Amino acid sequence: MKLSSPFFHHALPTSKVMQLVIAALIPGILLQVYFFGYGVIINLFLCGFTAIAAEFLVLKLRDRDPWSTIKDNSALLTGLLLAVAIPPTLPFWMSIVGTGFAIVFAKQLYGGLGFNPFNPAMVGYVLLLISFPVEMTAWLPSVELAAKTPSLSESMQLIFVGKTSSGLSVNDFRILADGYTMATPLDHMKTEHTLGKMSSEIISQNHFAANLKGWAWVNYGYAFGGIILLATKTIRWQIPASFLLSIVVTSSLLHWWDPELYNPAKFHLVTGATMLGAFFITTDPVSASTTPKGRLIYGALIGFLVVVIRNFGGYPEAIGFAVLLLNLAAPTIDHYTKPQVYGHQTEKESVHD
Amino acid sequence: MYQSKFVTLAKGKFHGGIHPQEFKSISNQRPIEKLVLSKTLRLPLKQHVGVQSIPIVTVGEGVTKGQLIAKCGKGLGANIHAPANGKINKIELMQAGHPSGLPVPAIEISVEDSANAGSFTLPKISDWRQVNLKELISQVRQAGIVGLGGATFPTEIKLKNQSIDTLIVNAMECEPYITCDDRMLQELAKEVIEGAQISAHIVGASDIIFATEDNKSAAIKALATSLEEEKDDKHTASMKIVVAPTKYPSGGEKQTIELVTGKQLPKGELPSSLGLLVQNVATLRAIYKAVTEGETLTERLITITGDAISNPGNYWLPFGTLLSDIAEHFEVDRQECKKAVLGGPMMGQSVSDFETPVSKSTNCIIFNRDKSNEKSWVIEAKQHQSCIRCSECQVVCPADLLPQQLYWFSKSEQWEGLEKQDLFDCIECGACAYVCPSEIPLVHYFRFGKSEIKKIKMAQVKSEKAKQRFDFRETRLARAKAERAEKHRKAAEARKKAASEKSADAKENKQAAINEALARVKQKKAAMSEEEAQNNDNKGEDV
Repeated sequence: MKLSSPFFHHALPTSKVMQLVIAALIPGILLQVYFFGYGVIINLFLCGFTAIAAEFLVLKLRDRDPWSTIKDNSALLTGLLLAVAIPPTLPFWMSIVGTGFAIVFAKQLYGGLGFNPFNPAMVGYVLLLISFPVEMTAWLPSVELAAKTPSLSESMQLIFVGKTSSGLSVNDFRILADGYTMATPLDHMKTEHTLGKMSSEIISQNHFAANLKGWAWVNYGYAFGGIILLATKTIRWQIPASFLLSIVVTSSLLHWWDPELYNPAKFHLVTGATMLGAFFITTDPVSASTTPKGRLIYGALIGFLVVVIRNFGGYPEAIGFAVLLLNLAAPTIDHYTKPQVYGHQTEKESVHD
Repeated sequence: MYQSKFVTLAKGKFHGGIHPQEFKSISNQRPIEKLVLSKTLRLPLKQHVGVQSIPIVTVGEGVTKGQLIAKCGKGLGANIHAPANGKINKIELMQAGHPSGLPVPAIEISVEDSANAGSFTLPKISDWRQVNLKELISQVRQAGIVGLGGATFPTEIKLKNQSIDTLIVNAMECEPYITCDDRMLQELAKEVIEGAQISAHIVGASDIIFATEDNKSAAIKALATSLEEEKDDKHTASMKIVVAPTKYPSGGEKQTIELVTGKQLPKGELPSSLGLLVQNVATLRAIYKAVTEGETLTERLITITGDAISNPGNYWLPFGTLLSDIAEHFEVDRQECKKAVLGGPMMGQSVSDFETPVSKSTNCIIFNRDKSNEKSWVIEAKQHQSCIRCSECQVVCPADLLPQQLYWFSKSEQWEGLEKQDLFDCIECGACAYVCPSEIPLVHYFRFGKSEIKKIKMAQVKSEKAKQRFDFRETRLARAKAERAEKHRKAAEARKKAASEKSADAKENKQAAINEALARVKQKKAAMSEEEAQNNDNKGEDV
C-alpha cells in the first residue's frame, strides 16, 4: 500500500500507553497489598493470566494473529483492573469466570480492542457481583484491625481450596479481635443504616474508623497513580475532574439535607473504588465519551449515579453499575456534544446579522 | 525576537496544533544558490488549479527561456513558459509526478545552452503605481504566476478581488524541513516587500501584514530592517509583521487568518469575505519579478533537504528538472533512499519514480533514508493498531473536528454519517495522524471518505441528470404525441369539413341540376303545350 501524507509520526504507542496505565496502578496496588494481604497479588496474577489466555483463545478462534494483539497490553490491563476490584480472597474460579467473561464476551465478541461498548473489567465485576454477592462482598478487614492476617500460602489456600491447611475459612479471617465480622465501610454503613443507626454513630465506631483508614490509603494510592497519568497526559482531566466534583456536590447536598442518613463527601471520596474509578475505570477511552464537553457530562453523571446508588441502591458499591450505564449513554452524549467546527459559528452569527 | 516598531504578536490563536521537531536548520544555514541540472526538462501541462494549458509549440521547434509554450486554457488556468533555451522534444503523455502515478500530458524540452540566445521577457513596468491596474493584472496573468505556497491557485484571479483591506503575507512556513520562504525573506526581503506593495496596490489594500512564526528570527530581522529602511512616503499601504508562536499548522490559510485577525473564516467563504487577501512569500516575489523585470515564471526556490543528501539548502531550480538529476547532483544513495517527498512531511507527496519533475507547486524535496534514524519519519505503510478512542486527535485538530468519529464512519463506510461529522472541513493537515498512538493513517481514511462521497455525489448528479433527461424525453414524447394527435385531429377535421363542403356542393349542384332539369322539363312542357295549343288552333282553323 502506498502511504499518503503525513510521513511524520510521533506518539507513545498504544501498547506503551497501556503499560503506563499499568505502571500507574502500582502505588495503589502496593497499598492494597499492605492493607488487605497477599491475596491481591495472587488475584493480579490469576486475572492477568486468565485475561491473556482468554484473549489468545478467542483470537485463535477468530483466526487472527494473537501475539500482535496481546502485545498491546489491553487484555492484561483489563485483567489487572478486575483483580484489584475483587475481594482478595475470592475463590479462584470466580476470578477466572469474571475475567474470562470480561475478555471473551465484553471485549472480543464485540470485535476486540476499540469496539467494545462497555468497560470489560466492569462487565466482569458486575457479573461476579450479581452472581456471587456473598463472596464478592467478603472483603477482609484492613490489616491494622484484623485479628489474624493470612500469610501468602494461607491466601493461596483460601483462594484455591477455600480453607487453609489449619481449617480456617475466609470468614474466620474477617472476624475482628472483638468477635465482630468486618465488612467494607460502604457495606457496613449500609447494613448499620438499615438497623436504624445514624451516620455519626457508625463513623464513631472504633473499628469502622480503622477500617476506613485502610480503604482511604488505598484510594490515595490510586489517586497518586492517577496524577501521574494526568501529568503524562495519558488521560485527560475532564472525566476524573467532573466525576470527583460530581461526587462531592451530590453527596454534600444529600448530607446537608440529612446529615444522619447521608454521608459527607469526604467519606465517599476515600471509600470503595472511588479513586480507582476516577482515574482508571471511568477513563477507559474506548467505552467513554470522546468529546471534551461530553467527557465532562459523562464523568459528572457517573459521579452522580455512584452517590445515588451507594445511598439508595441495593448494592453498596456503585462504580461498576454507574460506569456501565454511562457506557450505554456515551454515543448519545458524543452525538450531542460535538465541538463547534472551524468557521461554523461565524456562519451562524452572520445568519443572525 | 527582533525588537522593532513593525513587529507585533499575533492576537488570535487556533484550536489544537502540534509541535513536531522542525529539522529546519538542516537547510536554512546556507545561502541560496542557482542550479541548472537537467539536460531535459519535463513540464506537465497542468501545474495549477484549473484546466490544463494548451501547447502552442510543436515538436522540434526551438524555444528561448521565458517564452510562452503553453497558454492558459479556457477558464481557470495559467500560462507555462520555457524554463531554458532548447528544443521541444516531445509533447505527449509522460510520467510527470501526478499523485496517481499515471502519465499526464506534458512537454519535454531538451536544453541546448547557447550563450548568445538571450531570453524572452515581458515588457518591464518600472513605475507600476502609474499604470492601469488591468495592465498589472494582465502582466501577472501572462507571467503564469500561481500561488507558490503549494496551492497553485492562479494569482491573477485573486488579484481581481475588490474590497480588500488587508493583504496577509503568509510566511508561516509551519511544516518541518521547509525553509525556502524563510531563506527568501532573509536574502530578498526588499523584493518580497515590493511584490506585496504591488499586490496591495492592485487590490486596493491599505494594510500589509507579514505573518510568520517566532522560530524565524533571522527572517523577521531581515524583514523589519528592510521595512525600517523603506521610505514611508513612497507607500500607500502600511506594513507590519505579526509573529505567532511556532505551532503546526499555523500556515494553513484558515489558521493564519485566525492567528492574525482573531476571527475564523466562515464556512464556505473566501478570505475576501473578511476583506483579506492571503498570499505566499514566493508568489509575491514572483509578482515583483514579473512586473518590474518582465520575467515569466520559469523557476522557483526549492528547499532540498534530508539526511540522505550532501549540501542541503535552498536552490533556484527551473521547472521540469527531474528528481533523478537532483538526486545525482546531491549524491543521494538510491539504495538507501527509494522514496523522496515533494512538499513537507505533513502534507507532501511521496514519490518513488525519480523521473518526476519539479513543478510550480514544489516548495521542498526531502531525501530521507527510508529507514531514517529519525523515528518520526514514516514512509512505509504498516499494519496499524485499533483505535482506542483516546481522542488525542481531537485535541490537536485545528478544524475542531472529531477525527476519532470521522475514522469510525470512514472505516465502516457510513458516508452519510461521515458527512454529518463535517468531513469536508478537514484540511488534511495530518496533525491527527501525527499524534495517533495506534499509528492509524487517519488522513488516508479521510481522503478515501472524501473521494467516495464525491463519487456518490457525482453518481447522484448523473442520475439526477439522467432522470431529468428521461422526464424531458417523456414530456417531449407526450408533447409530440399530443401534437401529432392534434395535427391528426385538425387534418381529420379539415378533411371532414372539406368532405362536408364537397357534399354540400354536390347536393346543391344536384339540386341545381334537378332544378335545371325541372326547368328544362317545364320549359319543354311549356313549349310542347304551346305547340299543342297552336296545333289545336291550327286544327281548329282547319276544321
